[in-house]
Amino acid sequence: MNLLHVLKRHWCLAAVAFTAAVFSFDALWIPVKAEIAQHLLERAWLRTLAGEPDAKPWPWADTRAVAILEVPRLGLREIVLEGSSGRNLAFGPTLVNTGRIEQSSDRVISGHRDTHFSFLKKLQTGDLLRLHTPRGTRDYRVRWQQAVDSRKQSLLIDDAVERLTLLTCYPFDAPFPGGPLRWVVTALPVS
Amino acid sequence: MSKPMNIDSHNHLQRVESIRDQLEQQARRQSPELVRRMAHRRAAAEYRPRSRNDSSRQVRNWRDRTLLTLIGLLLLLFVIRTETAIADQPAWGLQLFSDAAVFTELAVDTDIQLDITGLVARVEITQRFTNHGTEWSEGVYRFPLPDDAAVDRLRIKVGERVLEGEIQVKEDARQTYEAARDAGQTATIVEQQRRNQFETRLANIGPGEVVEIRIGFLHNVSYSNFSYHLRLPMTFTPRFEPGRQAENRHSDGAPQPYLLPAMLSNGHHLKLHATLVSAAELTAIESRYHDVDIRQAGNGYTIDLLNPDELSDRDFELSWTPALQSRPSASLTTYDDGESVYALLMLAPPLAESITPRPREVILIIDTSGSMQGTSLSQAKSALLHAMNSLDAEDYFNLLQFNSTTEQLFDRSVPVSGDSLLKARRFIGKLHADGGTEMAPALSAALHLPEIPQLMRQVIFVTDGAVGNESELLQQVARELGGSRMFTVAIGHAPNSWFMRKTAEIGRGSYVHIGDPEEVAERMSALWGRIKLPALKDICVDWGDGAEFYPEVIPDLYAGEPLWLLARLRTGPTMIGLCGEFNGEDWNLNVNGWDAVSSDPGDDNLARLWARKKIEALEDGLMFGADPELTKLEITGVALDYGLLTRHTSLVAVDRTPRRRHDELLATTDVPSLLPAGSATRLAGYPQTATGWLAQLLLSLFVLLLATAMLLFSSSRLPMTKPAVRAT
Repeated sequence: MNLLHVLKRHWCLAAVAFTAAVFSFDALWIPVKAEIAQHLLERAWLRTLAGEPDAKPWPWADTRAVAILEVPRLGLREIVLEGSSGRNLAFGPTLVNTGRIEQSSDRVISGHRDTHFSFLKKLQTGDLLRLHTPRGTRDYRVRWQQAVDSRKQSLLIDDAVERLTLLTCYPFDAPFPGGPLRWVVTALPVS
Repeated sequence: MSKPMNIDSHNHLQRVESIRDQLEQQARRQSPELVRRMAHRRAAAEYRPRSRNDSSRQVRNWRDRTLLTLIGLLLLLFVIRTETAIADQPAWGLQLFSDAAVFTELAVDTDIQLDITGLVARVEITQRFTNHGTEWSEGVYRFPLPDDAAVDRLRIKVGERVLEGEIQVKEDARQTYEAARDAGQTATIVEQQRRNQFETRLANIGPGEVVEIRIGFLHNVSYSNFSYHLRLPMTFTPRFEPGRQAENRHSDGAPQPYLLPAMLSNGHHLKLHATLVSAAELTAIESRYHDVDIRQAGNGYTIDLLNPDELSDRDFELSWTPALQSRPSASLTTYDDGESVYALLMLAPPLAESITPRPREVILIIDTSGSMQGTSLSQAKSALLHAMNSLDAEDYFNLLQFNSTTEQLFDRSVPVSGDSLLKARRFIGKLHADGGTEMAPALSAALHLPEIPQLMRQVIFVTDGAVGNESELLQQVARELGGSRMFTVAIGHAPNSWFMRKTAEIGRGSYVHIGDPEEVAERMSALWGRIKLPALKDICVDWGDGAEFYPEVIPDLYAGEPLWLLARLRTGPTMIGLCGEFNGEDWNLNVNGWDAVSSDPGDDNLARLWARKKIEALEDGLMFGADPELTKLEITGVALDYGLLTRHTSLVAVDRTPRRRHDELLATTDVPSLLPAGSATRLAGYPQTATGWLAQLLLSLFVLLLATAMLLFSSSRLPMTKPAVRAT
């Protein structure tokens, strides 16, 4: 009764507290969702491997699991989705190329710098990246890492080259999203 | 209250030694009880005003301020959230710039020779570059070409040497090139992997050397709004190729091969000379972006740029307008190479006024899958609304939306009325993008709606085409189309345009792309204006025995847009029979072979254009389950026969004399972007790849904590203040 009275008297403060609570849950939901989605995707990936052509992670999904990215040194494993829309990025790293992953050799994968691709800042030149696709496994070694300005340059995808490019926002620890800089990690296949 | 107030004022005046003070002091001395009471009251009086006027006000101010700050912070959070939401939108995904797949260090000089004969343009672009570095270099040169260009010539001039390119199978060509490069010979290769995306590599350019590259291609002239157009893309987009910059920056003094960028050069001039020969009478010739000098010469015209120092920073577009007739007409061009006869038949639509508009049944399908979320959906919505406004009173219409499931507005198409339009607008207003892309049931539903007698069904399909099962969908359209026509409206920056164009081709309709919200009205009006007036329906062409012709599915002829039909015939045509439906009546036309304009011997442009169409058809066949290996062989065969650059053949030229000594390093050997490579280059945008959840979490937790603390603080203070309030 006392609390109720307080809330009534200070409804303005209470509203602020409530909204703040909603926002913090909303914020917390992002990494939680990112994590949960990866688990759901694991099942879709198994179905993809089993040969299902369009294995959707959940019935209403507008994407599918196309590959698995592994970083053995960091013990990381991420399921890569098709189509880099904002919505897909919430669930996992995404393949920027259009068309099927089997048809591309210059593969570009992007991810959020504060969820799935936060490990990019720990990546070192020479690190091994392993990409599993339904067609098999390919090993890449990181050769270059650099920041680029997305306003000034577009990304060139050249399917005549075998290459794996990881993309995320830069700087890694900027508090707010939406900056123009991108961190680009280029890896070439290990022959 | 008046009495204590009196005493109060006495107290206040105490410091001033007045007669009254003296009297008071006297009274105090006489009565100790009065002193005690006065002291009590004074204390109370002194305490109260302070607590009421200063302290409590301060507390309130402090609270108000904090509250305001908190609200401010919340607003900030809100702004950040919307900011992220917006930042997500600008069409990202893959941006394909078909004409600008293309970046190049701009040439110093560009020289263009254009020969337009009838509907075919032969274009030769010569560009000169200088190696301003101090090392021997390998240069990569990418160039833009108009859609459906058939590349067949390459000539390189390095110093005094002239190298002519020859068509070879792609792998052979690459080997030839690499061997020559490593042997220090000047060599060049032009490769293609996707349509309109070409790349030239040039090995062993000496320091300070000038290189001249000439590329020749054939191109169909386009026609719209009653004029012919020829557009040559010349502007270039800067690009980023991963790895390259890092290499330049970090490697110790590794030389950077480059062809001089235009910005730094003194001259980067454009010279253009064009000849135009047309069988039809022309009413106007116009260059859209450049000043030109037009002269009549022989049986045609010559066009030259007026400004000799014209910069090559914008596209060149030439248009010319023929005189039109009131009935559909046809013109025939042929070329005989001794073995076969190649024929190009153009069907020109009549003037718009001579076509009677007839009511139609318009079915609009909109894709509301997750990939359409954001600007794509709002563009699609406004395109739909635009279509609603353009319907005629006698038309029937229906609306379908699909994501994981399909929903249709009316069970069967309804006449246009205030009521039905209102329902449709409400339906459109409520659309939101979510879920998967189950396209097949939607197409099926639209094509199987109960037919309305006497009306032509036009299906307008609005989508970004983000599907994986393209070939099944195309087969479905081919199977279920019946008498309907299918028009596709591609939405967004990176739609699956191949799929959309093919759907329209099979659906005997046309394709339009809306990339920008500003383009909605313009593009939709253009589409509408065209499909409103079908001039000639159900066209059939009788070429004679053994003819191989393209396109295989002949679309309708619409006002303002002619049709081109290319065929290879066994013998010269005597008579080509055309039939169709014009204004609801049967229409027939016989084109006499003797009336054909025949190309000069050696002018094999028609043969190459035909070959180009054949290759395109072969490539499309892959989507319908053709055997990839067999198709590759067939394409290679056609390309080698007709000397065309394709996905499987390249143009290569090698100078037999080595020029670079072995101890001189070729500058590019270490540059990763110059791996022996093809040209399937595309430009992609960068996704927005940060959620900012941590900042949001910290900020909102901070607000939450402060607000809660304040709530607790006020609740713990309340019991103390309340009795005090009650006491007074």
